[in-house]
Amino acid sequence: MAGPLAPVWTPETTTGEESDLDRPWVTVVWDDPVNLMTYVTFVLQELFGFDEATATQLMLQVHNEGKAIVSSGPRERMEHDTNRLHAYGLWATYQKDA
Amino acid sequence: MKPFRRKGEEVVARLLDAEAGIVGLLLDQLEQLLDADPADTGGDPVMARLLPPGHASDPEIAADFRELTESSLRSDKADDLAMVRATLPPDGGEVRLDADQARAWLRTTNDLRLALGTRLGVTAETEPPELDDSGDGADEAGSQLAVYYWLTAVQGSLIDALAAGRGGRR
Repeated sequence: MAGPLAPVWTPETTTGEESDLDRPWVTVVWDDPVNLMTYVTFVLQELFGFDEATATQLMLQVHNEGKAIVSSGPRERMEHDTNRLHAYGLWATYQKDA
Repeated sequence: MKPFRRKGEEVVARLLDAEAGIVGLLLDQLEQLLDADPADTGGDPVMARLLPPGHASDPEIAADFRELTESSLRSDKADDLAMVRATLPPDGGEVRLDADQARAWLRTTNDLRLALGTRLGVTAETEPPELDDSGDGADEAGSQLAVYYWLTAVQGSLIDALAAGRGGRR
């Protein structure tokens, strides 16, 4: 029974625009010649809580392929992740997922 | 230098007098860079590396990101730098760090390596300079590169000591 304080339920509508907004953003870490491989692995574990195997795999992808996606989600969170990576001196950017 | 080792909850290293002096000088230089008017350091590749753009290809997004994050990133780096200075024995000796201090050292030694590496044009192919004991043949770039590799050894031992502690806590 809906009382006066019951939340007003608004059905979600999906328009083309919204689904574009829903498309996730990603944070990318790029290879650079200074950061140590052990450091990149350590920082990825520290900031994202990856286990050592996952962090090492991502680090190797950065090293061998030049870049790796380390997180994905809403734009604000990717900005935050990029900022945290910059605080540790990793070369990171965020972008809308291709 | 006696590299960083884990001792209980702390990590401990020893620096020689001359080594502590070099770290102190590098901290001063990094501080000057971070304190400089951004208008004066805008084209400096070292600053571009320490405060990188947030977006690889969209200048508008990159500018928004800089607006949002740059001042706090600068002040966080300044806080780290101050903590390293406070825990650095000026005439050499023991460096003993708790978890927060160790992270400040980790980030600041990395910033110093990024700054030096950018200045010296370090690439993946760069190798440590040959040791020159004659005392007269060492050129400026060669001795700066030696400092870069010395910092690499300091930071490497700190990472290993912290990673060992993390493994041990599980």
